Amino acid sequence: MRSPDAVGESEDPRCRDLARFYLRIENDRVREAWFQTYGCGPSIAASSIVTELVRDWAVDALGELTPEAVESALGGLPEDRRHAATMVVDALRGALRHYRAGAPRETSHA
Amino acid sequence: MRRVYLDHNASTPVHPDVLAAMMPYFSERFGNASSIHGFGREAREGIDVARESIARFLAVTPDEIVFTSGGTESDNLAVKGVAGARPGGHIISTVVEHHALLRTCQALEKSGHAVTYLPVDGDGLVDPDDVRRAVRPDTILISIQTANSETGTLMPFAEIGRIAAERNIPFHADGVQTFGKIPISPRETGLTLMSMSGHKIYGPKGIGALYIAKGTRMVSVQHGGDHERRRRAGTEHVPGIVGFGKAVELRALHMAEEALRVTGLRDRLWEGVRRSVADVRLNGHPTRRLPGTLNMSFRGIEAEAIILGLDLKGIGTSAGSACTSGSIEPSYVITAMGIPVDWALGAVRTSLGASTTMEDIDYVLDVLAPLVRKIRAMSPAGAA
Repeated sequence: MRSPDAVGESEDPRCRDLARFYLRIENDRVREAWFQTYGCGPSIAASSIVTELVRDWAVDALGELTPEAVESALGGLPEDRRHAATMVVDALRGALRHYRAGAPRETSHA
Repeated sequence: MRRVYLDHNASTPVHPDVLAAMMPYFSERFGNASSIHGFGREAREGIDVARESIARFLAVTPDEIVFTSGGTESDNLAVKGVAGARPGGHIISTVVEHHALLRTCQALEKSGHAVTYLPVDGDGLVDPDDVRRAVRPDTILISIQTANSETGTLMPFAEIGRIAAERNIPFHADGVQTFGKIPISPRETGLTLMSMSGHKIYGPKGIGALYIAKGTRMVSVQHGGDHERRRRAGTEHVPGIVGFGKAVELRALHMAEEALRVTGLRDRLWEGVRRSVADVRLNGHPTRRLPGTLNMSFRGIEAEAIILGLDLKGIGTSAGSACTSGSIEPSYVITAMGIPVDWALGAVRTSLGASTTMEDIDYVLDVLAPLVRKIRAMSPAGAA
């Protein structure tokens, strides 16, 4: 995404996963969300589903997104892969903090 | 959607002739093979025929074949059986054995046995000189696989057999991946024991065998009746044994031709991948390998992403790495070969077999290159 309005990332060093989100925000609403994720299938799936889930959300609502909501949007995650949803939520909260801090513009690699 | 099965090292479909041979032994010839009446004798006959087929295939005698529930039990019986008759002795094995062997050795370490786990080189080969050097006066068993299930690398089993024979040490091989795929004669190879499995060679699951050279001193692992010449107690799995025997008969007919054909397809797959995908490497020996096995690493990608992506296109492959309880570990086999972690995590195993066609391989090649590009594009720069 060129010149995203917010960027956030999170990693899970234990499983070597890394998720990064790029958001296009207009009038305090998420218009578009992109992701880049390195990791296992559940991490990639969780990243992908939240980019659809948060579209048109009010920016402030991002702070209320829970791992449980991500998991239910996916139709469930295996017990030992729940960390995928947590990582993705952390990354989006990071994007929210970035936006509130007056995100400097940057260009993504995607 | 097209479905392509490239996981023959995990399991294979039961051949229709095998299934047909098994069917009468479920409800018609259902007798207990230990019974002396006609019902029992019918079952016994099925077992005898299968045992003879397998013995003929290996050029050994029928009383040297013991039926088990599969490769894992055969490994357990071989190692615990020999070790049990020689308490406290030393065992030589490798770091790349199947878990059935590794964990059996680890259990024996807890009960007073010493085990040397030999390393492998970058191609996955154990050095016969390392085997020679590891031998101690109290060495009671050498247990080294004939081929690795993940990479397909063939171990130097003939050399190891000579070392074992010179020193009069029993030599066991987990032969599950080579049995019925490449010809290995236990006698010529100097093997004392060899584990085999039915479902890797188009036979049913839940049946396997252990070759035990005549005169090998062993204890029982499973106690009970006098089945299998007192080497493995328990009512025989007659339909499984009959199916296993039939599967081996079919391998005797088709093995050589199939090995050639499958090697060609495997090499076509690798050439195609090498041409169309960047940052890919072959794991395992370039030529000294099982006919159908191709293990490749895609750098900077977690193998599971590729396996799930291929699965969505109907293609079945596997990985040695596994993410469990939120921590990912690369395959211990790939790691033992000294392959760096950013490559090791992206190791994908394809294993071809009887049903694999050239069209299958071309379909996989069409799917794989765009899939790898897509996953790499998805990956945050720097992590990749």
